[in-house]
Amino acid sequence: MLRTLQVERRVDPHLSIDRYDPEAELLLLHFGPQHPATHGVFRMDLYLDGEIVVKCVPYVGYLHRAVEKLCEVLTYSQVTPIVDKNDYVSPMTNEQAINLAFEKLLGLEVPRRARWIRTVFAEMQRIASHLLWLGTFAMDLGGALGGGATVFMHAFRERESIMDLFEEVSGSRFHYNTHTIGGNRHDIPAGWSGRVKQALDVIEARIGEYEAMTLENRIFHERTRGVGVLDGTLALELGITGPNLRASGVDHDLRRDAPFHAYDEITVNVITAEGGDCLARTQVRMGELRESIRIVRAMIDSIPEGPINGGKPIKLVNSIKIPAGQTYVAMETPRGELGTYLIADGSPKAQRLKIRPPSLHALSAMPYILPGGTVSDALAILGSLDPIMGEVDR
Amino acid sequence: MSVVVTALVTSLSILTAILTVTAWAIWFERKFVARMQSRLGPTMVGPSGLLQPLADLVKLLQKEDIVPEAADRRLFDLAPKLAALCALGAAAVVPFSASIVGAKIDLGVLYLLAIGAVTVLPVFMAGWASNNKFALLGGMRALAQSLSYEVPLVLSAMVPVILGGSMDVSKIVESQIATQWFIIGPVWLGLPAFCLFMLAMLAESNRIPFDIPEAESELVSGVTTEYTGMKFALFYLGEYVHTFVASAAASALFLGGWDGPFAPGMHWMVLKTFALFGFVYWVRWSLLRFRSDQLMRICWYWLVPVSVALLLGAGAWVVL
Amino acid sequence: MSSKPNLDTTAPFEHPLYKTLEKLPGLSLGTASIDDLLAWGLTNSLWVFPMATSCCGIELMASAASRVDLDRMGTIVRATPRQADVMVVAGTITVKMAPRVLKLWEQMPEPKWCIAMGSCAISGDFYRNLYSVIPGIDTVIPVDVYVPGCPPNPEALMHGLLRLQEKVHAARRGVKVVRDPNPELMAITKPSIPRLCDAERTEELTRAQADDAMRVTEEQTSEPLEVAYAPSTPLPPVFAPDFAGLLRELGVDASSTEGPPIVPLARHYELARRLKDLGYRQYVSVVASHWPAGLGRKGKDDTEPEHYEIAYILRTVGRGSRVATWVVRAAIGEPVPTLFPLFAGADWQEREQYDLVGVRFAGHPDLRRLMMAENYVGHPLRRDFPSDAPAAPWR
Ligand code: SF4
Repeated sequence: MLRTLQVERRVDPHLSIDRYDPEAELLLLHFGPQHPATHGVFRMDLYLDGEIVVKCVPYVGYLHRAVEKLCEVLTYSQVTPIVDKNDYVSPMTNEQAINLAFEKLLGLEVPRRARWIRTVFAEMQRIASHLLWLGTFAMDLGGALGGGATVFMHAFRERESIMDLFEEVSGSRFHYNTHTIGGNRHDIPAGWSGRVKQALDVIEARIGEYEAMTLENRIFHERTRGVGVLDGTLALELGITGPNLRASGVDHDLRRDAPFHAYDEITVNVITAEGGDCLARTQVRMGELRESIRIVRAMIDSIPEGPINGGKPIKLVNSIKIPAGQTYVAMETPRGELGTYLIADGSPKAQRLKIRPPSLHALSAMPYILPGGTVSDALAILGSLDPIMGEVDR
Repeated sequence: MSVVVTALVTSLSILTAILTVTAWAIWFERKFVARMQSRLGPTMVGPSGLLQPLADLVKLLQKEDIVPEAADRRLFDLAPKLAALCALGAAAVVPFSASIVGAKIDLGVLYLLAIGAVTVLPVFMAGWASNNKFALLGGMRALAQSLSYEVPLVLSAMVPVILGGSMDVSKIVESQIATQWFIIGPVWLGLPAFCLFMLAMLAESNRIPFDIPEAESELVSGVTTEYTGMKFALFYLGEYVHTFVASAAASALFLGGWDGPFAPGMHWMVLKTFALFGFVYWVRWSLLRFRSDQLMRICWYWLVPVSVALLLGAGAWVVL
Repeated sequence: MSSKPNLDTTAPFEHPLYKTLEKLPGLSLGTASIDDLLAWGLTNSLWVFPMATSCCGIELMASAASRVDLDRMGTIVRATPRQADVMVVAGTITVKMAPRVLKLWEQMPEPKWCIAMGSCAISGDFYRNLYSVIPGIDTVIPVDVYVPGCPPNPEALMHGLLRLQEKVHAARRGVKVVRDPNPELMAITKPSIPRLCDAERTEELTRAQADDAMRVTEEQTSEPLEVAYAPSTPLPPVFAPDFAGLLRELGVDASSTEGPPIVPLARHYELARRLKDLGYRQYVSVVASHWPAGLGRKGKDDTEPEHYEIAYILRTVGRGSRVATWVVRAAIGEPVPTLFPLFAGADWQEREQYDLVGVRFAGHPDLRRLMMAENYVGHPLRRDFPSDAPAAPWR
């Protein structure tokens, strides 16, 4: 056998490469920052013995856009459109997370209707995000000139329908800026819920198609089973959250365990899988796709009536001052726990605003789970962790 | 003298035909794939985008020719030419009808296999000469893969040779016309041999699920990473011609060549070739790809034993 | 950034093939139509190299996908710059990334073009004045077509490509096409940062323009209107019973309403270890913040010296998940014990805080910068680090 499937003991990512067999001729491969499969600008230096990765040294920061500094420069309400750009695959959840923190320190109660709409948005965004992940992951495995591209195109086709629905609400296809402190900026338009259900029907009908091309495909199994095994203990220590954690058999989902929005009013089935490998991560995400569709279906018709923001004119939000204090607020995004640590000093600007990105933690698992795999595995693992560099680097 | 002229004319026309067909085959692939992916494919250049390959070619002709400073210049220049030459050279012995064949060689099948095996040389050459780590990895993968898959390819190609009792491709076709197509005669022998041949051929011409050497999501563009303009076009061309010739060879060896129910003739051969060609692309655009160690395992654990068994079976069938 | 790109694009690139063609006997008649053919070929097969760094990259992907399908016009995406004709810069380009973009650009064979997609690539968007983003890719490589938007819709990108086709065609036919913004246009629109080619772009000008830009922002935000919501008085924090008990045991005062309890540096590691045993097994985050002299938790406070506050967050797993948050205070330069032996995730998190805020973690196995380049000087998230143009290294 060319590779060891079982990780007996934890890899030490700081071990000097000189400790490796001095007889071996190692090849140092700079992978990225601009590489078709690094999901943005991520770089890792791979030390290869043949095709086996001996050591992996990741480098991030190629997309460090100084968002946290910018958040100290801008007033609270100006921050929302900025953080949209962090996790650019699910902008909705970014703005929700940041506004949750502001609302908590202000002690603001968000109207029930707004909370329900936020929940629906978050779940729809999860569908879109997982679809995009599926497409890019398949592309990592199958190449841009092969079967992977076919999955990619199909996944994008369905994702477009969700983006259309969001565009209808917010006027923008991509960066929505539809949440504000204390509620939502835009109410959902008339007839929207019907169109949502239509789109969901189409997506649900086609999930089977994707599964035929991935989960039910023998080659896919060969490529993912036992690859990049991440055990639950290490995942918790690294702070890995979301589907990556659940794929390691840890039953933990903030939507159920520490509810925000309207999640305390509905039941969320938490999807977990054993194995902790790329296959398990795929299974979890495919399961969540179905679960999210179910949640949206259950909620979309019973969104309560009422105001969508504190009933105050939105313009005045611009002048909001948050009293001195510190808080940490977290919510579950498609990638895991997106936290906001806010230190306010009583002025209209934050003193320090730290965004806790789930992707950064997920990516930090690379040096632990990659060694022992091949170059091809590197891509499968990287793709399955679903890192979004905008969020990793901020 | 007239022999030379005839040979020249035949080979030139075959060459032109193959190049033209390849160009439109690329168009066909792009359209076909686009439909698979619910897109349209090229539509703007010429009617239904028919002139797209031509535009690509004209564009590639005009691009700057970059040779990396650290590259081995001579090998770097030689590789693409050799790649195209090998692929086209293999076409020489494929009979398109009883009379249309570039060169009638007694050992046609051997020649075909030999040329097919040589194609890996320019690929590795390119990988080595580019002085690029991705290209080098691609070249090494190609070498390992080709060497492994050569074995089942040769063994499965021997099945029709034994059944037909000749190494000449035309003779094999003729013996199929006389008896039955080898894919069904006998079916327990012909069908697996045909499948093996197709699989090994996919691997040899670096098509998904065996396109490890290219693997653009892993190795950027594999061996062609450093190639620009026309040199890249030659590689590209070589790859397509290789697939095309291999499809033609498969239809000659297993599917009865120009034989067909109504009015046997060249059109049958072309039809079969295209069908196989289309099949290759169908597979390519629906499957993911294997990892290189898995490829090797499949080859040595499954394909080689099966092909040996088939070979023995063919011998037994003929003797009994 | 040592080498500046070659901007002399007035003479279009001539492939040696043209000369050969011209010399061929009898071809002079045909040259005109051959020229047409060549121009047609160049125009209709623009292969894209996706310099996709962020959000705009997703839209670039979307435009290659089913709905817009760039393949219709013969545009496919090539992974290697060697085989591409157009570099589409889609996304924010940071200081760390810019030299790589230049390198990739130089690896593309002539004739080549560049499309700047999205406000980030055009001008740096709202990140332009910050320490890590360059104000537009055209300060690094010459741009042919700008596609505005944040992000531009896929249709807009397609429009940009069609405009590029026109430009390519014109250039090939001998019409002079300026690759960089033309001077008259610049005079009209007065971009606040002159582009590479502009002779007027001097140090003082840039500085003055940058100051100008900043003043506008200041005026807009310096005088907030009255508060719309009356913020309620913050409630005293509620701790999970086990965490509260542990704090009592360690003798920590947990009554502050302005933030998490402050734990003495000496007991910090012990607290984390005990918490881990108690079931707080998930490492969530570490947040360092810089407090300049005179700033305390309650606002202005002259007795406060300059210091760091480092907040730690841990979490229990499963139903009813609880969070434990505590803070340690460290003077400037005072090392804080690392949590790496307990939580592997502390590795990158502490590196990030060291990089951006400047806190030193004692016992960390590999305390290097995470976000900024290795040779970067300063810690940008400190309060005294300027957030405006003078700090931006590209000016
Ligand atoms: S222009 Fe907007 S969408 Fe594009 S990269 Fe910049 S922030 Fe993202």
